[in-house]
Amino acid sequence: MRSVDVVIVGASLSGAAAAKRLVDAGLETIVIERKQLPRHKICSGILSPRGHRFLLENFGPLPPQVLHEPASCRGVTFHFPSMVSMPMDFFGGTTPHLHRKYSDHWAIRQSGAEIHDQTSFVGLQDHGDHLIVSARSRGEPVEYRARLVIGADGPSSLVTRALYPDYPQSIPWFFVCQKFHRIIECPLDPQYFHFWFHPGLGHYTWSHARDGRQIVGVGFKRGDNFARKHRNVVDYLADKHGVRLEPEDDDDEGCGENFGPSLINRYVFGKGNVLITGQAAGFLNMIGEGMSCALHSGAISGEAVVEARLRNRPVQEMYRRMIASEVRRTSDQWNPLKVAFDRPHEADFPAALMALSWRDRAKVMRDIWRFLVLYKEFKWGRQILRAALQRPVLGGYSMQRWL
Amino acid sequence: MGKMDTAGIGIPGMCPVGTDSLLGISRQQTNPSRWHGEKWRDFAIAIRARGIDLREALATRGIFATDAGGTAYGLPHGVVIARSAAQIADLLKAAQTYRVPVTVRGGGLTTEGESVAFGGVLLDMTGMSRVIAIDATAQQVRTEAGIFWHSLAEELRRDGLDYLSAPLNLTSSVGGTLGVGGIDVNSARLGCSADQALALQVVTPTGEIVECSDKEHPELFRRVILGYGQFGVITEATLRVRPYTPLRMHYFHYDSLRLAIEDLQMLDRNDASDYSGILTIMDCAVNLLVAFDTPEREAVFNSEWLSRLRGYGEFGFALCMLRRYALRPWKLAEAWYLWQRKRDLFPELQRPEYMRDGTMLDRTVVFSRAVWKFWGGRQMVIPDLATSADKFVEAVERGNAVCRRYFPRYTLYCVGIKLRPEHREHYEMSCIPADAEGWAYGCEFEPMVGDAVYSRDHFQSFKNAIYDIGVDLGASYYRFGGMMKGYIRRVFGDALVDRHLAFKRQVDPAMILNRDVIF
Repeated sequence: MRSVDVVIVGASLSGAAAAKRLVDAGLETIVIERKQLPRHKICSGILSPRGHRFLLENFGPLPPQVLHEPASCRGVTFHFPSMVSMPMDFFGGTTPHLHRKYSDHWAIRQSGAEIHDQTSFVGLQDHGDHLIVSARSRGEPVEYRARLVIGADGPSSLVTRALYPDYPQSIPWFFVCQKFHRIIECPLDPQYFHFWFHPGLGHYTWSHARDGRQIVGVGFKRGDNFARKHRNVVDYLADKHGVRLEPEDDDDEGCGENFGPSLINRYVFGKGNVLITGQAAGFLNMIGEGMSCALHSGAISGEAVVEARLRNRPVQEMYRRMIASEVRRTSDQWNPLKVAFDRPHEADFPAALMALSWRDRAKVMRDIWRFLVLYKEFKWGRQILRAALQRPVLGGYSMQRWL
Repeated sequence: MGKMDTAGIGIPGMCPVGTDSLLGISRQQTNPSRWHGEKWRDFAIAIRARGIDLREALATRGIFATDAGGTAYGLPHGVVIARSAAQIADLLKAAQTYRVPVTVRGGGLTTEGESVAFGGVLLDMTGMSRVIAIDATAQQVRTEAGIFWHSLAEELRRDGLDYLSAPLNLTSSVGGTLGVGGIDVNSARLGCSADQALALQVVTPTGEIVECSDKEHPELFRRVILGYGQFGVITEATLRVRPYTPLRMHYFHYDSLRLAIEDLQMLDRNDASDYSGILTIMDCAVNLLVAFDTPEREAVFNSEWLSRLRGYGEFGFALCMLRRYALRPWKLAEAWYLWQRKRDLFPELQRPEYMRDGTMLDRTVVFSRAVWKFWGGRQMVIPDLATSADKFVEAVERGNAVCRRYFPRYTLYCVGIKLRPEHREHYEMSCIPADAEGWAYGCEFEPMVGDAVYSRDHFQSFKNAIYDIGVDLGASYYRFGGMMKGYIRRVFGDALVDRHLAFKRQVDPAMILNRDVIF
């Protein structure tokens, strides 16, 4: 049995960031990844400027192979049912359009950690001073002995399930799916990520250009029909925006999303010597960008391991104290008071709103309200309000609500 | 286990999303990747054959995993304790041949990972810490560069001498300080610590042992002084020293940063004191320290300048604070913190064993103890701004606003640095801003982290916010290396940086010496 300091589950961006911190501090680290690397990853790939900065500062210049075409994104455009559109440039300038298959592979290699791909996490046993991680490598059972485990395996995290078997049933699940269309004519600016606040289209509707095709994506509550939702969006784009697309190619894709934890400050950070990080912990920025907070939270999980060893303190305590800054950054983006009176996002929504006429502003606010009503059934309203009121009093968000 | 396929991607090349796409500050890798270790074994055999003790045990290497900043981590492949210039020359020659990075460390008090080795060799200079010769008549000392300033002070004191200026802590090394600058509360009169160097013995990155000064190999001397360790390893230094004097301290208290800074600059301009500096408890209690070497200087100050200062005495300031917090009862926690801090700190600066007849006998010990006890911590995060005199108030006020945003408790430390016209060339691409005339002013912004735990990103965001002010004002920084090196080209301009880089390539062809610090 291989004995190491830390096993990281998942060779994604959060895993790479955690690995970088651990390897730098001289800890023996193995990253296990279910798929063969480089592996496909369902993602828009539009990284926020803050995530871009993290990649550059920690992993170096991005090689061209890790980017889609167009290689960069200038900002986000919000579209509303009243046909008002609000383009907003990112504060930090253009950001990379990552090809997750290659960017994640590049980052994990840059981290310097030892990588075991085609190795699926099966379960873990906590023995107090160490953990035994069970996995399957190319069908064969394999075990690792580790002082600590970091679960960086995405929203449907098996590490989270191993710790909290009931957790997946306790939160609402969404599916986000996208199809790729060759373009006949597309008036949507390819330099922007386009998002629709339209309750009739879905809970999360987006489109952007990639490698000569147009992505049409839609997110919806688990149980709905993807093909019908998608057709509805394509028809809407054709009807309202003049987007003419060929029938979709056959490489459509989708995945489950845990959309809620960032909104209501209900993160999952693990217990004992197991840390959960990235989207597995519930980090997701507004407009669904999860990469930058995955990078930062992943790094913090690695830092917490290092600090816990140096200070001889429990790693959970260190992690929860250190992750508070990232929780503030992420949950601030969903905090209505912050949105109204501060600038928690990486694009200036209030300025774009103020640039509109009074009439259009009123339309936008009305459309946003109607869109938010779509989420009424999840009963998040009071929890968001409570967190928003806590923020100025505590200077952050309550740790009591974290798992 | 399926090891990853190493072919294919990951080849650095031109990125269509350039670093300049991040508006404001162009970014680069400031948290370096670990050196891959190629030819390490051959190198280890080669240097051991030359009698160099190379330590590879993890326990030894682990000691050097981080620096005082605690935000950059890296493990060297091996550690060498410096013993002599010849040994270092042998080490660097082999390092050039095998292209092995060498990171030099003195007291390890860097805050941005400048003395952290991301692989390769860590050269621990504390092994060279002897004082070689003291010439009391000429007021000079020749010392090995790995010595800590307080050890040097101890030796000098036996001959009734003192160094000119040194950082306010116990364990920064002479060589490290000469490489970056160094400020003291007498810098407004005597210049930065690096200004006291008269001559240096330097081992160049290619392994030549060179004696340099303003007359001998002046180009190398100018670059090594304030050179952030890029152009050679300082192994010995000849320093100007002065007769030792006890200190006559005065404290003036302000509730306004602007007033205190204006008074500080007034004193400096008029040569009204021998020591001056500002140390604050947040922006609430701003303390102007003024001190004198002789009773005569003190008497002149008392008669000519004292009345012009706008600060309060202790009682007056207490009344001022009473009024302030009576009107702001919701800030009582802050008032309580100020009171506690004052109660703990001030007796420490006047401990009876270091005082005689109202004079402070040993400022090195008093200040160093206080610095470590009240401002030290497991992580020292101290971004700074260095500006010309006229921009200083704005820089401090804007930096103060950033501190307020990021941390509940912090301190500011401000001093002037007297510039020496004859050293103008030493100051190139250093903490001394190019537009400063007469004096430069530096302010350190130090959060009181205490037992609190913050993510590195929180610290980094704080530092970036402070440094962005510097870009905006055209200032410079003391700590622009390591994790902050993304600011270097922005502040100094490509032409100057490229000129230094060309010289670096000339003297260090394999780019092995302190390679992740500046370039």
